[in-house]
Amino acid sequence: MKIFQVALGILAAIGGFVDIGDLVFNVSAGATFGYQLLWVVVIGVVGIVVYSEMCGRVAAVSGKAVFDAVRERVGFKAGLAALISAQVVNLMTLTAEVGGVAICLQLLSGLPYRWLIVIAGIALLVVVWVTAFEWIERIFGYGGLCLLVFAVAAVKLHPEWGAVGHGFVPHVSTESPLLYAYFAVGLLGAAMTPYEVYFYSSGGVEERWGPKDLGLNRVNAMIGYGLGGFLSFALMITGGALFLERGIEPEFLGSITLGAEVPLGQVGLLLALVGILFAVGGAAIDTLFSGAYNLAQFLGWEWGRYRHPRGAPRFTVTWFVLLVLALGLVMTGVDPVQLTEYAVIFSAVALPLTYIPIFLVANDRTYMREYTNGRLANVLGLFYLVVIMIVAVTAIPLLILTNVGQN
Amino acid sequence: LTNSIDLGLNLLDHQLLDAESRRCGKVDDLVLEGGPGEELELVAILCGPGVWRGRAGLIGRAAAWLGGGRRVRIPWDDVAEVGSHVKLHKRAAELGLGRGDDRVRPYLEKIPGSDR
Repeated sequence: MKIFQVALGILAAIGGFVDIGDLVFNVSAGATFGYQLLWVVVIGVVGIVVYSEMCGRVAAVSGKAVFDAVRERVGFKAGLAALISAQVVNLMTLTAEVGGVAICLQLLSGLPYRWLIVIAGIALLVVVWVTAFEWIERIFGYGGLCLLVFAVAAVKLHPEWGAVGHGFVPHVSTESPLLYAYFAVGLLGAAMTPYEVYFYSSGGVEERWGPKDLGLNRVNAMIGYGLGGFLSFALMITGGALFLERGIEPEFLGSITLGAEVPLGQVGLLLALVGILFAVGGAAIDTLFSGAYNLAQFLGWEWGRYRHPRGAPRFTVTWFVLLVLALGLVMTGVDPVQLTEYAVIFSAVALPLTYIPIFLVANDRTYMREYTNGRLANVLGLFYLVVIMIVAVTAIPLLILTNVGQN
Repeated sequence: LTNSIDLGLNLLDHQLLDAESRRCGKVDDLVLEGGPGEELELVAILCGPGVWRGRAGLIGRAAAWLGGGRRVRIPWDDVAEVGSHVKLHKRAAELGLGRGDDRVRPYLEKIPGSDR
């Protein structure tokens, strides 16, 4: 029974791995550079596995979620700066995901976009208010598994497997190194999006993980996120095999579905749309709560999605306000795909502020007792700190130099 | 309580839990007493937006203003345990903590489904 439950959790994690940032960056990277950047996805996925395992372990042993740890380790002032930047990026991401939901609904129903923004907002509100939270995660996770259609599509498109294999070997493109670097930074940012660890660690605290759950934490992080990365490969391969070959620029969320429609027809299109709808909808809920978690943890308010709304009043008001703000921003007509690019690049800048405190706490014996980082977690953790520092420093210059990946 | 803790690392900015394990603020500042040459003694914890004013320059003042500027003094005697979190002997309401949550709750309770 327990294995069954763990398996269900993993399935939900796979389906919940991909969000609008992964969709946009993986397919555009494929459409621009073919399979050449697959190795970057591997680095990003291993990175999120390493840091979510670390955050889950900190949550299980010390009962602290990310923004508890941030404030305790870096203090009020730097912590407040981290909070503000995290909240700005998180709101951008939330807005992009809500816009993505509305686009999917539009493609499925043909109704006007603005109406569908309102419908998407009401639907998210009702789902969050009415549904028990363990179910929310499952419903959206399982729905997101429809994205596996891209794995079938990737095979059906008969990519040059030799070139695909070559893509997993780290190398640098010489034709347009700046654009290549921009996509590399974007792919890392999309795979290691900080809201994933906010959400994951807060969930661990809410589910009252203890040291006995460390095995579960490891399995969740490694298999759930690891196999989720598999979907990213599939997206990039469809990008390379279809879009690059035919010179299509996937500027719209709808054009991403071509990757499944061309090789698999109507069924492929429908599965892709449903998969994107659930993946992006689930990510919208994750980001919505992440914003509320961060603020409540930083200020010491009562928080929790397993609590009744009346049990965590300010937390509830926070996510409600964030949802209204995001809907207002989508209503301005901002393009969700473009916004996603900015959100991913800015989140890359904010990465060190999240990951450094976690790394410090995970090494602190006073909290972690015998569960501090082992040698592997420290070697990988340090490696990724260096990686995210480079990413953080280069992200904005690359955004400007490549004109948001346009040239 | 253990005899030695690092005040900056193990107490400041930690989560406060009241007698019913309710989250009710952070250790925003500490009050130490004792003149030069005397032994410094920790006498109270300070909590609330009013304390942020002195902790983060301009944005700290802005945050304090947004938060209403209240500050609560919790005598050190009311602290029960310092571990991962800082546990208090009394309930939040008795100490004047967690008032924001208490103020918002009645409105949320009017919405159907708020207690599920």
